[in-house]
Amino acid sequence: MVVSPVHLIAAPLAAAFLIPLLNKLYRDAARVVPGVVFLYNLSVSWILVNRVFRSGPIVEVIAGWKPPFGINLVMTPFSAVLVMLVSFMAFVIWLYGFRFKRSLKGGVVMYYEILQMMMAAGSLGIILTGDLFNMFVFVEITGITAIALTAFYRDRDGAEAGFKYMLLGSMASVFLLLGILLIYTQTGSLNMAQIAERMPAVATGVKVTALIFLLISLGTEAEMFPLNGWAPDAYSQAPSPTSAAFAAVLGVAAIYALARVGFTLYDHGTVSGFLIAMGFLTMLFAEMAAITQTNLKRMLAYSSMGQMGLAMIAFGIGSEAALFGALFLIINHAIIKSLLFMTGSYFIYNLNDKRLRALNGIHKRLPYVSFLFALGALAIVGFPPFSGFWSKFYILTAAGAKQMMPLIIGILAVTVIEMTYYLRVIGRIYFAKEESEPASHKPSIQALVAMTSLAVLIIVLGLYPDLIAGFLHRASMFLLDKQTYIQTVLHLS
Amino acid sequence: MIKRSFVVFLLLVLGVAVYEAFRQAPFGQNRIGDVENPQSVSAFYLKHSPETLHTANSVTAIVVNFRGFDTLGEVTVLFLAATGLASILYRRKEEEEAAEKGHLPQRIQLPSSVLVRTGAKILFPLILMLGIYVFVHGHLTPGGGFQGGAIIATGFLLMFITYKRFNVNHNVLIWLESLSGLAFVLTGVYGLISYGSFLQNTGWTGRLNDLISGGLIPLIYIFIGIKVGTELTNVLDTLLHTKPRRNE
Repeated sequence: MVVSPVHLIAAPLAAAFLIPLLNKLYRDAARVVPGVVFLYNLSVSWILVNRVFRSGPIVEVIAGWKPPFGINLVMTPFSAVLVMLVSFMAFVIWLYGFRFKRSLKGGVVMYYEILQMMMAAGSLGIILTGDLFNMFVFVEITGITAIALTAFYRDRDGAEAGFKYMLLGSMASVFLLLGILLIYTQTGSLNMAQIAERMPAVATGVKVTALIFLLISLGTEAEMFPLNGWAPDAYSQAPSPTSAAFAAVLGVAAIYALARVGFTLYDHGTVSGFLIAMGFLTMLFAEMAAITQTNLKRMLAYSSMGQMGLAMIAFGIGSEAALFGALFLIINHAIIKSLLFMTGSYFIYNLNDKRLRALNGIHKRLPYVSFLFALGALAIVGFPPFSGFWSKFYILTAAGAKQMMPLIIGILAVTVIEMTYYLRVIGRIYFAKEESEPASHKPSIQALVAMTSLAVLIIVLGLYPDLIAGFLHRASMFLLDKQTYIQTVLHLS
Repeated sequence: MIKRSFVVFLLLVLGVAVYEAFRQAPFGQNRIGDVENPQSVSAFYLKHSPETLHTANSVTAIVVNFRGFDTLGEVTVLFLAATGLASILYRRKEEEEAAEKGHLPQRIQLPSSVLVRTGAKILFPLILMLGIYVFVHGHLTPGGGFQGGAIIATGFLLMFITYKRFNVNHNVLIWLESLSGLAFVLTGVYGLISYGSFLQNTGWTGRLNDLISGGLIPLIYIFIGIKVGTELTNVLDTLLHTKPRRNE
């Protein structure tokens, strides 16, 4: 059978419904099945990415009704790159969490595995869909799973984090629905390409209100500044593979949705200034909050928000070079932040203490994990031999090309803050006096493989950015080319 | 005080923006246009549900066929909500079981009256029948899988609150739930394999207004009905009581 984009969503759905049955037949089915699904998805997306870059975008019609009447999945070079990234990261995170909660029997692990798998499937749906309401459905799927996973540890903090996330998440859903409703009343269509085509004719007041609603809701998901109150709690209370997935899977989908609304539904010029301003505020406040944190996972969470802010700035600048930088940044952030959460969780697991103070001298007990954490920390700040350097470099160059001096100074200043707190943690790990007893939990072999492969990727992409640069250039060019998107989707032969 | 008035001010601004935007939405006017000159996709749906799909209820045609992928997503949302709830309540169930050895589940303190018990016994099969009727006739009359499933769950709720010892068989629930969900996805895959498009309807759609018409549409709505019914029952069961022991 020929593969098509819908496999990426249908396979996890079928598996999610099957897991409760399989789990009755074989005890570890819930742990194994998601891996099989992710591996399948990874190979499907590899084939599809190759096809997209060889012979142009793929539009898949669902239920046999051509757009704009039916729902359709669109795989442009831009979404193909992100689909590949999400499929890959979902697999690596599954590998990392393979032995998660081995002491617990059956039921609860099954629930966790189903939720974790569907978070990836929902994110793939957000990236693939060409229909605005379908996107809402997938946003719901990711939202529900993310909330349930945040509250997974049933302690006081977990419940608080889950509740906060639920309030903000459902408010975001309502605003998204209102925005879609407004757009539908004006354009009579839910298909993104047709909306994009008809948008210029819509009255300005309605257009702007709808845009504000969409930005509020997607901004909440993408951790934009005043709306990101859920993020630090959710990142720090969720199980560690979930924290990694928030950064590497959910975050990617959220920022994609923001870009799709900004670049395809609306004209880039409308949202440019807003994205730059909000992105910078997000970055500034997040990094300033990060430096005051005493809890490792909260610090990483704030750093995630900072990176999201930088991505928003890059999308705001909106030149081809800036989009290239933004894509590079999204890829880097997914890889590096997952590595940081994975290694950081092993510190916490061993110390049974989330505070930074407890990290003193831990490199003697977990030398390899500490080394990987330090590598990730240096990479995310943007030290030259690592991949993080290139994304910041390209974004700054793009800002320079547009004569945005204050922005460049701002980004560099915030980077200094970022560097300060990451170097401080590295200092604690390597140079502070040890005050704790030997390690009791060595990483599992699966986790070691997962973390090492991410670290290798960071170095390889740092040394040879050209490996993916060609793909990213074409992807960012395609995002800018709104007319081709409309033509491809609406005028299927 | 200043903070509160600021909040009121912001709410007012939001209210004005929403009012202004929705004031321009042409509620109540005919914005559909006709098929030759469509202003919105609705004209196409209204034409093709009776003519091509032979489905009398065009809402069902839209929900299950034109936008069937959304419905699959919504079914999944419900499934995930139930899963998330179960994952959060799971351990409490175990803890309470350990703590309450020898006690009845706490859901009912007093036995229900004879009136309620007899009434529930009579109503229960009727409610189930109504639910099944609603989802089997989803393509002909108002209602469908979600509504029928919810009605069935109401029947079980009635039994849960009336009888202390009313138990549903969890294994049966889980099997029904999983298999009906899987059947929905497989119907989609069937379309993908035989017609090249996920969830595509069969070519044979029968006669308008017949019970067996609309191709795969009634079949999918039956799967949805079973899935929603068992799922909501499961949720009620999780919420209402701790796992009862065998000997009660």
